[in-house]
Amino acid sequence: MGKKEKRSNLISFIFGAIVFIIFIFPLYWMVVTSLKTQVEIFEIPTPLWPRNLTLEAFKAQLSASSDTLRGFKNSAIIAIGATLISTVLAIPASYGLARFRFKAKKALILFFLITQMLPSTLVLTSLYIMFSKVGILNTYLAPILADATLGIPFSIIILRTYFLSIPKELDEAAAIDGCSYWKSFFMIMLPIAKPGVIVAAVFSFVYAWGDLIYGITFITDPNMRPITSSIYNYVQQYQTLWNSTMAFGIIAISPVVLIFIFMQKYIVSGLTNGAVKA
Amino acid sequence: MAERHTRYAYKEGHAMKRKRKLAGGAKMGFLFALPAAVYMLVFIGYPMIQNLILSFKNVDVFSFAQPQNQKFIGFQNYIELFTSSNSILTKSIINTLIFTVGSIFFQFIIGFGLALLFNKKFPGCSFFRGMTMISWLLPVTVAGLLFKFMFASSGGIINQFLMALNLIDAPMEWLLKPGTAMVAIVIANIWIGIPFNMMLLITGLTTIPADIYESCSLDGANKVQTLFKITIPMIKPAIMSVLTLGFVYTFKVFDLVWVMTKGGPINSTELVSTYAYRLSFEEFQFSKGAAAANVLFLILLVVGIFYIKLINEEEESM
Amino acid sequence: MKAKKLAALALGLGTACMTVAGLGMAASAEEGKKEVVIWDYFETDAQKQMMQTLIDGFNESQDEFTASHTYVPFADYEKQLTLGIASGQLPDLVILDGCGMASFIQLGLFGDISDADINWDEYIAGPLESTMMDGKHYGIPFATNCTALYYNKDLFDAAGVAYPDENTTWDDFREMAKALTKDGVFGFGNAATNTDEGTFQCLQWLYTAGGSYTDIESGVDAYTLMQEMIEEGSWTKECVNWTQSDVNNNFMAGNIAMQQNGPWQIPGIEANAPDLNYGVTVLPKRNADAGQATSILGGENMGVVNKEDMSGAKAFLQYYDQTDVMVEAMKLYGSYPPKTEAAKDSYWTDDPIQKAFLTQIETSIPRGPSALWPSYSSAIQTGFQEVMTSAKTPEQAAADTQAAVDAIG
Repeated sequence: MGKKEKRSNLISFIFGAIVFIIFIFPLYWMVVTSLKTQVEIFEIPTPLWPRNLTLEAFKAQLSASSDTLRGFKNSAIIAIGATLISTVLAIPASYGLARFRFKAKKALILFFLITQMLPSTLVLTSLYIMFSKVGILNTYLAPILADATLGIPFSIIILRTYFLSIPKELDEAAAIDGCSYWKSFFMIMLPIAKPGVIVAAVFSFVYAWGDLIYGITFITDPNMRPITSSIYNYVQQYQTLWNSTMAFGIIAISPVVLIFIFMQKYIVSGLTNGAVKA
Repeated sequence: MAERHTRYAYKEGHAMKRKRKLAGGAKMGFLFALPAAVYMLVFIGYPMIQNLILSFKNVDVFSFAQPQNQKFIGFQNYIELFTSSNSILTKSIINTLIFTVGSIFFQFIIGFGLALLFNKKFPGCSFFRGMTMISWLLPVTVAGLLFKFMFASSGGIINQFLMALNLIDAPMEWLLKPGTAMVAIVIANIWIGIPFNMMLLITGLTTIPADIYESCSLDGANKVQTLFKITIPMIKPAIMSVLTLGFVYTFKVFDLVWVMTKGGPINSTELVSTYAYRLSFEEFQFSKGAAAANVLFLILLVVGIFYIKLINEEEESM
Repeated sequence: MKAKKLAALALGLGTACMTVAGLGMAASAEEGKKEVVIWDYFETDAQKQMMQTLIDGFNESQDEFTASHTYVPFADYEKQLTLGIASGQLPDLVILDGCGMASFIQLGLFGDISDADINWDEYIAGPLESTMMDGKHYGIPFATNCTALYYNKDLFDAAGVAYPDENTTWDDFREMAKALTKDGVFGFGNAATNTDEGTFQCLQWLYTAGGSYTDIESGVDAYTLMQEMIEEGSWTKECVNWTQSDVNNNFMAGNIAMQQNGPWQIPGIEANAPDLNYGVTVLPKRNADAGQATSILGGENMGVVNKEDMSGAKAFLQYYDQTDVMVEAMKLYGSYPPKTEAAKDSYWTDDPIQKAFLTQIETSIPRGPSALWPSYSSAIQTGFQEVMTSAKTPEQAAADTQAAVDAIG
């Protein structure tokens, strides 16, 4: 028994390792390209490992460190703002849609699903005009409000299935103990749902951080642009600087990766403990 | 056990109270969901309605500056989009379907496989799982450029590998030929979407208590049987969410395709989203662009309604 | 309780945002002076330096106005302009790609400045035409350039082929390319991606063959040349997905012996491949009796946004209209001044490479101009791609493209 299990585990492991390597290769390629020179990139065949390993691409971006840091700061403000709005709005909404029965429920769920059905490029014009009338163009508020529209529906749909799997007995026990809906929500539901909330918040943050179009359309002041907009420094009118573009990609996701690694514990516990039946 | 009995007694006794609470509960549920609904109505609902109105008018480069020339022309834009010889809407719809179904099929299978794999808790699995997530953290534009670069006919690493493995003699022109361009963008999209599928499926898998697997193997069921008869049915809700959300998100993909092929070569990778963008922002045919976007929306609406019906059934049975 | 906390948090966040917004919107205009805001998409250091020099020069030359400029990425430029028209968020001056100006004049972005004090006759006819509609002026040309033929001297020497020059015909060109295609090197490459950049390059061949953007079928020989050279292997098929920068990268790496490209690539070549031994000449002409090949004009125009008070924008135009200012700016930019006499400055005519471009400009024409240019560009480029991928025969592609073009007007 033990041997058979070990062998099947080994096979799974090897198979998984192969899939994993194929899957991770593009990331490896990204790193390697960022370390090559422009000419080396276009050689045929191109080397698998840079012969003239150069940190030029990174140096240029990191030496303009004030620009990079400013880009990070802007992205952070926008992403945190959007995450706050989406989490604050999505949690009660998903709870309401999971635990209660009311007539408009189906329509509301459909509505939230619908709001994700238009590509952002086409909602852009109306939002732009709206923001310009209210005077918040070229402020952080514009992309924050717009990015929250990415996070809210997604968070609701995910958290809803999450809340659904929390045993109803808990609700009823709370009701019996005399808790009002609010109290039961805050004191009992939220703490249990914490991992799910964290997952939803992380999703919203990542989406907002990775957003390019809202940040770049609503903000024309280069000092306020998020880090994603710096891609235009390397994807230019006349050329694409591949090594710089790849270096940019690595730099742009490094804060998010760090957050991710740090939060992995919570995310994992959220994913694994989340819906275990009591 | 005794607790359970007591609870039952309580339940009976408080049936009346519960009924009242449920009536109030309906309103509460609605109130909980209201703020989010209002927010989305303002920031997405309103633009959608504006888009709809725009699609019924005749706003283009000539009438944009003269509001007095803008009139309602009913469904004319839609009719022209579907019947005019210059229009590639029908082709773009077919392309989008091919793109979406192709992506989801593989994303789901590979994501599911990885989810099953990482569910097993072997040493280092959390590290590997974390690494798989990184592709999802990458901004889509960067990922698109990465794949455009890898698929390049000369200098692209994919061709280099295929030639080194002697699978092809000469570099394939991935992004240059109508058929292979679609394959290339589908592959790129699969890569981007795997972590999403994997994460949501892992969530589902963890709801299955470990003892079910034990009792299965005790009963002599092999792996395949366990998978199909037990695992999959038990995580059906998660699977449905993943597939529906996946379909909606993939159907409206824009950035990836725009960066890799801009809809070419010769419209072979033109999706409804790229076509709508081109109509509005490159050819200044604003009303037509809005109409194309609405067609995309309508198709997804059908999918959405389908999903709601499915959840309904599932929830009735809970 | 918690609800209060949440409300407080939301309020605090809102206030924080407003404060930050307020800081961000701190007015930058000096007291008394009127602001002139210019939008451009210039991203290289050389271009940015050029703009700054122009702006500083303008600000110092008078007391009434203060100019400043805002960078908007090229990929987003026209979208941002369109959104600006819809919402009223616009600058005073816009520097944009020449061929796009007609559409934006039609969209009502630009104002009529025919009464401004500008020396209209000094400008080269083609670029000037693209700033006008129905006889009225909406701006002035800013920079002008075109594509020409680059060739790698070392590769030519190694193959024992004579360099191309102003007498090279299409047949000569074809022979040259064939002779140079070996050992992984292609004879010729250009940009034929499915954007206006591709049209910008490919259209040249159509015109040189005798066609135009409304009369495709007269230029069918261009399609034949392309398809046959690609099938022979001397014109690289990759063009279909190449931008002008991809072409240049391949030229620098020695993958193609000849390229069709513009003068803006020269700084890149000097930086990345300083040892490259290359020359530039005009594009090949149709046959021995024909005149010089037609090339397509590129470059930017500067348009005045339609507002109540356009005096600041006009003042800036008048500043730039001064020939010496224009010439200095173009030297920094790496493009050519759009005035007939100014382009003959010895800075360019003494350098054989630059001179080749100037010679080519003499027979260059603008794209359109037409407010529907984007639709034409799209239809025409599809035709080129169909020919280059051998999806259709040249005759079929010409007929279909003609039909598509007719349907636009």
